[in-house]
Amino acid sequence: MTTFSLFDKSSKMDGIYVFFIVNRFQMLFLFFLLPTYLLHPFMIWGIVAMAIFSQLNIRLLCKWLESNYAKKGYQGFVELFGVRMVRLLTFIGLILILIKITVITLGYLEVIHDFIFPSMNSNWIIFFILLTSSYVASLGMKNTIRFVVIVFLCVFWIIFLYFPFFIPPIAALHDLYPLIPTNWTTDSWKGLLLIWSSYSGPEYLICLIPWIKPQQKMRKYLTYANALSTSEYLLLFIASLFFFGSNYLSKSKYPIIHMIRYLQSPMFERLDIILISLHMFVLVFALSIFLLCIYGATRIILKKTSTQPSRMGFAVTCIVLFLCFVFVNNWIWSIKTEQNILLNIQIWLSGITYFIVPTFLLLLTKLKGRVKA
Amino acid sequence: MRRKKILLVWGIFVSLVMIPGCAPFVENNTIEDIAPVTFWSISKGEKRKIKMSTLVPPLVNEPKSLLTLEVDLLKQGGKDFNLRYYRELKVGQLRMFLIHEELAKQGIIQLINTLLTDYDISQRMYLVIVKGNFDEYINRQAKKQENLDYYLYRMLKHYERKKQGEMTIVNLHEYKNKLFSPFSDPVLPVFKVAKDNFTYEGTAFFSNDKLIETVKNTEDQIFQLLDNDHYLKFFPIPKLDVVIGHLRSRVNVDLDKNLSLVTINVKLNGRIEEYQGNKNILNGNELMQLHKEIETELEMKTTDLIKKMQELKVDPLQIGTHTLSPFSKPISEKVWLAAWGKMNIKVNYQLYFEALQNTKNNY
Repeated sequence: MTTFSLFDKSSKMDGIYVFFIVNRFQMLFLFFLLPTYLLHPFMIWGIVAMAIFSQLNIRLLCKWLESNYAKKGYQGFVELFGVRMVRLLTFIGLILILIKITVITLGYLEVIHDFIFPSMNSNWIIFFILLTSSYVASLGMKNTIRFVVIVFLCVFWIIFLYFPFFIPPIAALHDLYPLIPTNWTTDSWKGLLLIWSSYSGPEYLICLIPWIKPQQKMRKYLTYANALSTSEYLLLFIASLFFFGSNYLSKSKYPIIHMIRYLQSPMFERLDIILISLHMFVLVFALSIFLLCIYGATRIILKKTSTQPSRMGFAVTCIVLFLCFVFVNNWIWSIKTEQNILLNIQIWLSGITYFIVPTFLLLLTKLKGRVKA
Repeated sequence: MRRKKILLVWGIFVSLVMIPGCAPFVENNTIEDIAPVTFWSISKGEKRKIKMSTLVPPLVNEPKSLLTLEVDLLKQGGKDFNLRYYRELKVGQLRMFLIHEELAKQGIIQLINTLLTDYDISQRMYLVIVKGNFDEYINRQAKKQENLDYYLYRMLKHYERKKQGEMTIVNLHEYKNKLFSPFSDPVLPVFKVAKDNFTYEGTAFFSNDKLIETVKNTEDQIFQLLDNDHYLKFFPIPKLDVVIGHLRSRVNVDLDKNLSLVTINVKLNGRIEEYQGNKNILNGNELMQLHKEIETELEMKTTDLIKKMQELKVDPLQIGTHTLSPFSKPISEKVWLAAWGKMNIKVNYQLYFEALQNTKNNY
């Protein structure tokens, strides 16, 4: 019988995995909502501006990833903060991850429920998705990270399907006018915030450091990932402007999927069902990575880092997560106010974590270094 | 070994859940039990009700019959059809939505909204306005001609693909987009039922969601050239005894800054397909004269058409979109429609016809 080793750190992953992971983290659910929030063509510049900020942020993150503390993994954090502080921060991180995956899962769930199984009890969908994720996660961190290649290959080509929306008669240049902001409202700020929080995701790399080869090229891969996400955001947003026009865009909740419904194929009537199913790969991947993070975090909080991970503990984590999802799905997510509160909280939180984590870590490392010197 | 055991336990668990009917799927799509209908035809019923009809079964070798109902709500009709017929009718293959002219005159936004909210209904479903009694026609004709509904759909699809002129073909998405955009008004094709024929009549202009005018014949052809397809296979002008064909148009719309004048320049490429007049069109001068006559005729007809649009305060040509520019604030729809009603029009045609060949002068 083999031992149950979730966190086997014997082999390190290449930088290309970082590229895949960061890109897919940035293309996680929130981009479905992007066109509905942005609405006006001038928000194209918003995406570009946020991409530049995100790039600056990534530089900071890379600087920290290349520092000596980062190379030591968990020990590095302990040296930086001390055990007590690390436990506290892990707890905060645990909550943040929990909110993130809950919102993302329930968001995808809503899409599946709307488009594929309108008459199905949505708890079943949670059950099946979590079952798959638990299986992937139970194969260990190493295999889960490797899984990202399959995920990326399954999903990234979907962007090419939006090509028909860029040729006339659907594409008319006047749909992109005016290009300068003419009425700047609070909604526009909200749009910018949403773009920023869609760019979040790279900060979770700090949980995966022990599995990534320490190397100098990290910045290159992160930059590529950021650039790819930017171009995907731009393409999707411009395509949806062409297709719906900025007046109708606000009426449609998931414009990106509604556009897929308009495509026709000689084989399948409902292309959207197939593509949504493919998007589930991303969800399963993100869930399993974060599931492992949550399990690891619980071990840190409970001071069990020195013992072997147990099947029992992992199973309990999965079950607790399932119960959490079901609870939120039935009692919190279904509260229909004008805006989804939980989603708004997540947009704010991921925006804040993406902004704070790299700066905070880098600052602390610099301070620590100065004190030592 | 242990892994196999775990898999076995999971297998048993999953099948235990699925077999006793605890399965989460409630939709039954067994092909023998369902009938995916291809069209819904809607007309005005008595007392604010709507009359719905559809043809069943679709594409199966069984005698066809027309189901007709009077209902208050569209989806209620969808439900009541099921109760009437032994198969369950599914809307996943709904390809055509035929609306009677009288109903369209009252406004169809409620119907459109219902169609838009159903994810099973394709955005590519064709919308068609029908004049005359369609139910009667299909009842009579379905007996003579197999798969009539399918061929009607093929006809619409044929003229939609490649934008080959002749007909205005509009699907649900296009209609909705124009309906909800400030600088454009939707159009729909109008078909007329006369005895055993189902003929294309022209294009219906909508003001918001209400049908207000139908243009036919030459005016419809000009509409195709100006906006819809920018192509016509044949364009007969009986007044000048001439048929021009393979017409491709390039339209250039120019709005002046204070919205008082719109200039429409149309370049037409094509060739003379038939001429029965008394000019010697092999002679350069006389051919030029014919060109001039066609030009003036077209300019006059086009101006009339646009004047008509102005009077009705509709803008199916989307001329309003030309007020938009990258670096200025867009004007509101109200301002635009007010300006549009009073605007002066100037239409210029330029003809580039190919030289005539394989012909001999008869005069």
